Amino acid sequence: MKLAAYYWERIKRQRPAMFGLGFIIFLIILATLGTYFTKSPTKVNFDEKNLPPPGYTVEHSMYSAQNESFITTLQEGTWEHPLGTDSMGRDMLAQLVSGARVSLLVGLLATGIAIIIGAVIGVTSAYFGGAMDDILMRTTDVMMTFPFLLLLILIVYLFGASLTLIILAIGLTGWTGTARLVRSETLSLRTREFIMASKALGAGDLRIIFRHLLPNTLSSIIVLATLSIPGAILAEAVLSFIGLGDPTVASWGNILNAGQGSLETAWWVAVEPGVMLFLTVLSFNFLGDGLREAFDPKGE
Amino acid sequence: MENSAVLSVDHLQTCFFTKKGKVMAVDDVSFDLLKGEILCIVGESGSGKTVTALSILRLIDHPGRITGGKIMFGKKNLLELTIRELQDIRGNRISMIFQDPHSSLNPVFTTGDQISEAITAHRSVSRKEADARAIELLELVGIPIPEERFHEYPHQFSGGMKQRATIAMALACAPDILIADEPTTALDLTIQAQMLDLFSELRKKFNMSIIYITHDLGVVSEIADHVAVMYAGRIMEKGCRDDILKNPKHPYTKGLIDCLPSEKGKPASIPGTIPNLINPPEGCIFHPRCRFAMEICRLRRPMPSKTNNEHYVSCFLYGDI
Amino acid sequence: MRSYIAKRLLHTALISWGVMTTAFILMRIGPNSPADKYLAGLGAGHNVTQVVAAIESRYGVDKPLYEQYFSYITSLLQGDWGWSFGTSMPVMELIKTHWIYSFQLILLSTIFAVVLGIALGIFAAVRKNTAADHAVAFFSFAGISIPNFWLGIMLILIFSVKLGWFKTYYDTSLPMFSLENLHALVLPVFTLGTGMVAGYSRYVRSAMLDNLGKDFVRTARAKGLPESIVIRKHVFRNAMLPVITIIMLDMGSIVFGGAYITEVIFGIPGLGWMSLKAVFADDYAVVLAVTLIGAIITLLFNLLADIAYMYLDPRIRYE
Repeated sequence: MKLAAYYWERIKRQRPAMFGLGFIIFLIILATLGTYFTKSPTKVNFDEKNLPPPGYTVEHSMYSAQNESFITTLQEGTWEHPLGTDSMGRDMLAQLVSGARVSLLVGLLATGIAIIIGAVIGVTSAYFGGAMDDILMRTTDVMMTFPFLLLLILIVYLFGASLTLIILAIGLTGWTGTARLVRSETLSLRTREFIMASKALGAGDLRIIFRHLLPNTLSSIIVLATLSIPGAILAEAVLSFIGLGDPTVASWGNILNAGQGSLETAWWVAVEPGVMLFLTVLSFNFLGDGLREAFDPKGE
Repeated sequence: MENSAVLSVDHLQTCFFTKKGKVMAVDDVSFDLLKGEILCIVGESGSGKTVTALSILRLIDHPGRITGGKIMFGKKNLLELTIRELQDIRGNRISMIFQDPHSSLNPVFTTGDQISEAITAHRSVSRKEADARAIELLELVGIPIPEERFHEYPHQFSGGMKQRATIAMALACAPDILIADEPTTALDLTIQAQMLDLFSELRKKFNMSIIYITHDLGVVSEIADHVAVMYAGRIMEKGCRDDILKNPKHPYTKGLIDCLPSEKGKPASIPGTIPNLINPPEGCIFHPRCRFAMEICRLRRPMPSKTNNEHYVSCFLYGDI
Repeated sequence: MRSYIAKRLLHTALISWGVMTTAFILMRIGPNSPADKYLAGLGAGHNVTQVVAAIESRYGVDKPLYEQYFSYITSLLQGDWGWSFGTSMPVMELIKTHWIYSFQLILLSTIFAVVLGIALGIFAAVRKNTAADHAVAFFSFAGISIPNFWLGIMLILIFSVKLGWFKTYYDTSLPMFSLENLHALVLPVFTLGTGMVAGYSRYVRSAMLDNLGKDFVRTARAKGLPESIVIRKHVFRNAMLPVITIIMLDMGSIVFGGAYITEVIFGIPGLGWMSLKAVFADDYAVVLAVTLIGAIITLLFNLLADIAYMYLDPRIRYE
């Protein structure tokens, strides 16, 4: 605990990292509690389609069969929909809140899966060495070389676009960095005195791995995990953006996909989810960088 | 005018502004360098001798800064020159060689290129002339087959050869002053002896003055004309070599000499360690480790006093208080 | 060195084979086998099973998986990359017509990113800890974090929809380097290049700072070299060693990374655009070929990066 307090002191001094942490906490609150306060993100209402945020007005042209001509009306945003509505009249705020939930879920779960797989493969590879190391590292090479985006697209396209599958796909393909990191850290630790000592005392392999090797690589893993989360979030967003997202949920990528088509009529639909995505990624990057600085023994 | 000073350092003060506080690395250091002489600055590591040397050419990096004093080179105060004027002196009138020859050469350029560069920086000669001069210099510092070595990269040189190359670089424009910062510390003992010979020989050939920085009194006894003993950023004692080595006055100098292994028995060592320079002790900076410390040593700072001809000591045991 | 390169080429072949096999298996075990879907679509209406059977035997997809796999490898080794169902032409022909557009986009973006990234990195390093340095650092973070597909959309929104400065239609009937097409490439290059600029400026800054603190820089200053030469020659040359490696590695992975999505947004008919179309068209031979090519490109650039490093660093070159 003392150590945690020490690192907290060191992170606290870094303003970008604190900004990142603040925004992430805000996002978590938004994702967990926000849905209780917002409208339904899926409720369609064509009477209120393409409403701008309050303070903006847009022209809408509609063909009127009665008059046989185009009628142009001015539409003004209302506080009923503080961030406007999309082309199907769905409330943007509600969709963004739902998107926050999706993004956080994807970011945390997919990274969690990737870290666990990567850590297991990395430790096994380094600890046992020999043929095991060769096979695992060549597998890692194959995975790393596989055009990442293409692989994701392929998996999701072939096996169906559900959120669960997307999370699994990102997790199952994103572990290579962790595997390499854990392997190299384990290799350098393996020959250190305290590991030799516990080996000499007859500690089993698993005990050494879980009691000594993994905890000692923890700080690097935390940094890597923090910096991997935005990658996972972006991967989901890209998939949704090109139309391979889970069609049953509103994710930022899905909204962007829709927004791209209505740039001329409703710019805010493309702007808003992107801003959220950008701030989220920026926050995790800031936090990860701050953690790296804090954990760096060369700092000070 | 044989005894005129080519360089006089006057009340030099250099500080490092670290996060933990201000470190007085060099505090009120004064000495004269005479024409054609070798002045040894001797002291333990951390005594401020390297910082003193770097201050002369204003090579102190952030967070360090020269905060006071004068460094007179001829009629110019080096501390008041513009950076342009200073570049004109660096490597041309005053050269410097560094402790670790392995890291002081750039690994991605040939050794020859780095020597020629020192020539073309100050002389308007063609590339070809500079290269020819560089090869001469390599030969002069005792590098065999200099025409071939000229085209080699630093990592292809041995440590001693690298240091010879940096000496050649420093001599490129036949400077008036050569500052050598522990040039043999990183080298083998056998090579050290050769290097000392080389320095003595070059001094005569170029008629230049040398500031030689070392922690090794053995080196001092071999090459020095004058000696300044530094401790914790201050000069404790300075004078002729023989005065300092045979008749040391300051308790610190005596301690240093006692530390040398001799026939009499095992070397003594000075008890204690160099003080923390962020909060240096009041009064004489050496008093916490001094066997002869008196009340006044804790209160006031001793000024240098002349004991005899050219021999100055900063200690309350000597001179008037 | 020659034996090292030979070893690395062997490694490249091995890993490419692994990637190809994984992709091959993936496409056959999926619940929606592309071949089935395609064939089902073709035979819609009447006599489905007969048509499917006929086509299956025509393309050999009725054979057991391992036989298909071996025949694919055999033809691959003979230089036959398969047949594209979707466009009815050999896969290689298709790739030959499309790769050049990816190449153009990546080349222009890389030039843009390298020039600007190095300039910003040096600027920030020389002015370490000043407001200018912080501004560059902030820009870098923002540039790394901004999702490039969103950046693309925003650029279209601002400069194309609202201001009307750039049209974003890449016209393949015009010469590649015609003014119209270069004009249409401004926004894509900016989209793809921004993240790269941000990354490079950070690498360059830290590499410059690493080297600024080195002893040989002090030696160079002690020689009396002007600061501009110290920076330009002694610091820059050393700082470029790791940066060039990173640029090369980037070029290898960008084809199916950033460039992919940029092509899709701006409708540039490069390999990324083509392969996404192939995925949606169930054109599995194209997808397989493109995956394999992507892997080979990545591996070759890794190798190239290593060779460049060896060539540029005399300490390794002369070993």
